Amino acid sequence: MSGAPIEPIVGRYAHVPILDEACRVYFEEAGQGIPLVCLHTAGADSRQFRHLMCDEEITRDFRVLAFDLPWHGKSYPPQGWEGREYRLTTERYIATVLAFCDALELERPVVMGCSIGGRIVLQLAHAHGDRFRALVGLEAADFQAPWYDTDWLHRSDVHGGEVCAALISGLIAPQSPALHRHETLWQYMQGGPGVFKGDLYFYRVDGDLRGRLGGIDAERCPLHLLTGEYDFSCTPEDTLRTAQSIPGARVTIMKELGHFPMSENPARFRHYLLPVLGEILQSQP
Amino acid sequence: MEAKDDPAGMGSEADLAARFLAAIPARLEADPHLVWRGRHLHTRCMIEIGTTRFLLHVDGGRVPECRSPLPPLSSWDFAIRGSVRAWDGLWTAVPSPGWHDLFALSRRGEMRFEGSLHPFLANLQYFKDLLALPRTRGVA
Repeated sequence: MSGAPIEPIVGRYAHVPILDEACRVYFEEAGQGIPLVCLHTAGADSRQFRHLMCDEEITRDFRVLAFDLPWHGKSYPPQGWEGREYRLTTERYIATVLAFCDALELERPVVMGCSIGGRIVLQLAHAHGDRFRALVGLEAADFQAPWYDTDWLHRSDVHGGEVCAALISGLIAPQSPALHRHETLWQYMQGGPGVFKGDLYFYRVDGDLRGRLGGIDAERCPLHLLTGEYDFSCTPEDTLRTAQSIPGARVTIMKELGHFPMSENPARFRHYLLPVLGEILQSQP
Repeated sequence: MEAKDDPAGMGSEADLAARFLAAIPARLEADPHLVWRGRHLHTRCMIEIGTTRFLLHVDGGRVPECRSPLPPLSSWDFAIRGSVRAWDGLWTAVPSPGWHDLFALSRRGEMRFEGSLHPFLANLQYFKDLLALPRTRGVA
């Protein structure tokens, strides 16, 4: 007798206080070993990391966890959300990541974030590096020049899901398989109204880290930055410029990948990620 | 990254204009789902390839008119103005980084969006797919 294939991913909810608000945070995990906490891009959710959680070469040594930020995926906004505009701030984002790690009692986890998740990884390296075994920033930079007016993302006469997906579709490399391209777009089509725009408040307004990344100790907490060559939002030049201000930061420019490497082309991404995880594993204290 | 300052295409403005006219509306009509996705769209837009200008009338997802040169006193809702290099790069079979999307091109200063942009943004994936129709395809 053989049943249908069932993936090893398990999803649960954690009740996590964030900035004095009760939040019910959905997370998925698979594997065992070093905790590897994955942060999704703006306006998306933890599904972006589903391939990592089904990769035995990774889950053999790493406990891969990915949570949906409140307002995203299966994590509801906290009570009272209906009475205010959603805006992700640096303070809220940092508090969320630290609260999640505390709630699950993760001991010196690795954090890997993409896009806004990559930006917050830089802030974690700057302000909380001693709490982490290593940090991995995907499509990460201290600042990126805006390339459209985010007001288009949330207005009554434009379908938010459609315009969000259409705008970010160009950030996916042309070589990425159609299946994964359109799964990535679907995540954006499903976002709540104003959520992508609210996340970009952190990216565009509140999280400019230029000149503010001094003191990062990449010896104590290794920092890896990986950026896709087709990403014109966080360009390879943005990442390289950022790395120049952080002694010891390691940069990889990924060929034939865009802004969503783990989601748009998981087979190609693992080719770049496995050596990084191997280094982290080797340097384990 | 190495091809970033070079779109890697080979088309002249006349070649690109001819390719545009050959693709629109013929390739659009060959894609009924793309037509369906534009079923609520009615607009006029001006597409500029270098100095060659086209006036597109989009009506319910179809393009019944694609005129060049522009008739006297033409008007349009919005314009997409791209350099020859921009369209050449966009329409190569596998575009190089930075030449692969309308917004990548605008970010590098090779393309501009002007006018009343609501019909463009509200139907953005439709226009991205429409304007990718002249892209070189594999050996048929």
